[in-house]
Amino acid sequence: MSAKKDEPETKKHITLTVNGRKVERDIDSRMTLAEFLREELDLTGTKVGCNRGECGSCTVIMDGDPVLSCTVLGVEASGREVLTIEGLASEGRLHPIQEAFVEHDALQCGYCTPGMIMSIKALLDKNPNPTEEDVRKSIDGNFCRCGSYLNVIKATIEASKKINHM
Amino acid sequence: MVESKLLVKGTPPSPLDRELTVVGKPLNRRDAAEKVTGQAKYSGDIKLPNMLYGKILHCPHPRARILRLDASKAEALPGVQAVLTKENTKGWRTSWYKIPEIAFPEVFTHEGGEVAAVAAEDVTVAQKALELIDVEYQVLTPMQDAEETLKTPPPPLIGDEEYPGREIFDRKPFVIKRGDVEKGFEEADVIVEETYTTQVSHHGSIQTRACVASWDGEDLTVWDAIQGVWYSKLALADSLGLDPKNVRVIVKYLGGGFGSKAWSHRITFYAARLSMLTGRPVKMERTRREEFVNHSRRWDCKIELKMGAKKDGTLTAIHQRAVANMGAAATGENYYCMQIIWHTANLHACPNVYLEQIGVYTNRQITGPTRSPLNMPAIFALESHMDRMAAELGMDPFELRMKNYTTYQTVGTDESEDPSASGKSYDSKIPYSSKILDQCMKLATDGIGWEKRKGLKQSSQGAVKRGMGMASYIVLQGVGLHPYVAEAKVAIHHEGTINLFVGVVDIGGGQQTILPMIAAEELGVGAHDITVIYGDTKDTPYAPSCHASRLTPEMGPAVVQAAAEARQKLFSLAASLLGVAADEIRSKNGEIYARSDPIHSIPFQVVCSKITPGIPILGQGSRAPNPKEPMMATFGAQAVELEVDTETGRVNILKVAAAQDFGKAINPKLCTSQVYGGIEFGVGYGLTEEGLYDSKTGKLLTSNLHQYRMPTSVDFPPVDVYLTEVEDPYFAYSAKGAGENTNAPTPAAIRNAVYSAIGIWFNDLPITPDKILKAIREKKEKGRSHAV
Repeated sequence: MSAKKDEPETKKHITLTVNGRKVERDIDSRMTLAEFLREELDLTGTKVGCNRGECGSCTVIMDGDPVLSCTVLGVEASGREVLTIEGLASEGRLHPIQEAFVEHDALQCGYCTPGMIMSIKALLDKNPNPTEEDVRKSIDGNFCRCGSYLNVIKATIEASKKINHM
Repeated sequence: MVESKLLVKGTPPSPLDRELTVVGKPLNRRDAAEKVTGQAKYSGDIKLPNMLYGKILHCPHPRARILRLDASKAEALPGVQAVLTKENTKGWRTSWYKIPEIAFPEVFTHEGGEVAAVAAEDVTVAQKALELIDVEYQVLTPMQDAEETLKTPPPPLIGDEEYPGREIFDRKPFVIKRGDVEKGFEEADVIVEETYTTQVSHHGSIQTRACVASWDGEDLTVWDAIQGVWYSKLALADSLGLDPKNVRVIVKYLGGGFGSKAWSHRITFYAARLSMLTGRPVKMERTRREEFVNHSRRWDCKIELKMGAKKDGTLTAIHQRAVANMGAAATGENYYCMQIIWHTANLHACPNVYLEQIGVYTNRQITGPTRSPLNMPAIFALESHMDRMAAELGMDPFELRMKNYTTYQTVGTDESEDPSASGKSYDSKIPYSSKILDQCMKLATDGIGWEKRKGLKQSSQGAVKRGMGMASYIVLQGVGLHPYVAEAKVAIHHEGTINLFVGVVDIGGGQQTILPMIAAEELGVGAHDITVIYGDTKDTPYAPSCHASRLTPEMGPAVVQAAAEARQKLFSLAASLLGVAADEIRSKNGEIYARSDPIHSIPFQVVCSKITPGIPILGQGSRAPNPKEPMMATFGAQAVELEVDTETGRVNILKVAAAQDFGKAINPKLCTSQVYGGIEFGVGYGLTEEGLYDSKTGKLLTSNLHQYRMPTSVDFPPVDVYLTEVEDPYFAYSAKGAGENTNAPTPAAIRNAVYSAIGIWFNDLPITPDKILKAIREKKEKGRSHAV
């Protein structure tokens, strides 16, 4: 008996943009976007804390919207534009959100941080002047067990001011 | 100048007779940039060439025996490289807090026990292999509730060491006595008696446990997810029969610990064994469900408290009986034998106490360190009961606590590890090394606007009622722990580089930021002049696991000693340059100077150039045990303002004022983050988090992050943090520990505030909307308040 026999025809060809670069791969059709990013592209900044859409640590931005990459299939991302935490800093310079996270200690263990930052990025792209309530709502799907929420809010408000002045 | 009593072996270095230039500064954490850019590689992010993937088959029953096991189909599956079961691992032991456990048992005493471990070419094949393992179980009726289990005869041993560690704990009461409790109750004008119950709760680290083990035929290297690399190294060497010098453990980043990763867990032992068997690296990563089901959790407890007081509030007697559900195994080394009653013996002055704790083995998940472990149930019950007493006496809860304020302790922290101390009478009064709980209570109540408390009920309009509550705490953690082995090394090189070697893990508390700050202060340089080597057993001396808030209070003094020794050696080189004796030399902000002539200083780097190239100056530091006297502990108080919606039962916390006595914050920015973290655990424990079990099968029902309800961004209240400072010459710059203390008072403060809002006492955690609505309904029907 072989495990292979039980498996469907697995390979699918996908083409997508990840952090501004065009990527083409033949991937296992069952592969999630999170697995694709981590295993195929070695973009391990995207974390998988539950693999069932509950913790938010795998949040990436797809065509401008925050998505849980553990509940998106790699094949669904074909033809789309994906931004991960690795695509935020440019030329070695931290993005203002990242700078504000560092300055306001909006992280502790750092495991939820990439997902948290991607949710915040998606928020600020659409809402450049968020209230504290807006920030809370935008990350209500991102668990932080270390208790960084208040500092995330502070960092986001500061980052939004900085971005608006740029 | 305060005489140095720094807890180090040998002569403590003299305190610096100058203002501090690094310690006390709100510096950013050192690894923040790696973490915000996604560059930080956690154990699950490690990928090695030729790596295999491991998976574990779990027993789905809380109590069962394997009747038949056949792994031959799994072994034959293409892509499977190794399968471990009880058949081919006879005699192999792993450990849980030094209690030896059978690596693959025949008899299972909690759900999720390990039946087999597979290593395969990829995860899919490994998963498929698990499905091919044929197991037949004899399913036995699980023991679930601790109090119910106590009523039944102890279970026969149906397997070898069925309940590891049982001989130490099981059903044996541990007693703390003082004075004459009968007489104390006779002297009381008011006696209040209640029973409190607390729930199973989980760590909920966002990173599930993951590891990569790589055996090269001689050396084992493990990228682990553990709070202490040295614990992991020694536990692995012991289990696998290796010389510790051939085991290296690396943890550069850890995605949350909270006690869940304080000790090596099974997957690391299995991954290592599989790597040794196959000669290839093996990765194992837990699913979220495995993280819940097959992991330790916090004890569920029942606490009966009876308290007597005179009319003026003076406590005369406390009787306590606490029953802790230990699950199928508990932390070893007797560490937890009096952790639910210790607080009652020490927090408030009371001449007569009789306190009893009983631990019961059941078929629930094993128990172990969980952020502020048994402080949570202990402080919840005690501080809830203090408010109950205050209400009975018609006293302000703050005043009642101040009335019974004590500057003495009677039962030391180390005695909590000694089961033979049970029944001993503790009548001595030993002062604390430092304690400013009174200031903390004042800060917390002032911070919340305590004076408005009385008027809140009247001002509440409609269905939403407002209330305020407070709670204080003392905890065992934060002043170091037996066996007090903590070492540090400092090296200063010819080129001017300074290395600090500490075998610790930065679990998110900022340990790699704080310890170099201490070294920098001693050396008189900037924090960033120091390179810290940490999170790796290679090249670092032994350090404790980062749990029990012990890193700063234990490592701090060792780092001070190591840096001071290196500094004095450097000053000997500077002596000829400055023309004064070495003990007349000082350093600050990267400059070295004669104490009498600070203006004519020499840059640190210039003095370093006198060091022989390739032979750095070395300094060593070593922590000494806490003395018998004085007593050492950390303290604090919290006050909460909240709203209760009497139509939905929802509690909305408006603000928390949290004041702590940690001695001093080395880094107030990071210390404040620790307070937030504690409050998150406290809010969850108080209001939403609860591990629920099926009453028939004993299986955990809440094994995901949807059903196990941790606070989210919309639940987290605004918090005002007050970091007080008090001189404590035993610790590095007075810094006691801060990690896990602050969740202890939050649940009681919430519960007391709920009473202030709606006049109902809740004695059973968590205080969920359904309990609130039911209690309001019953209160209306009966027309009176009673505890629920």
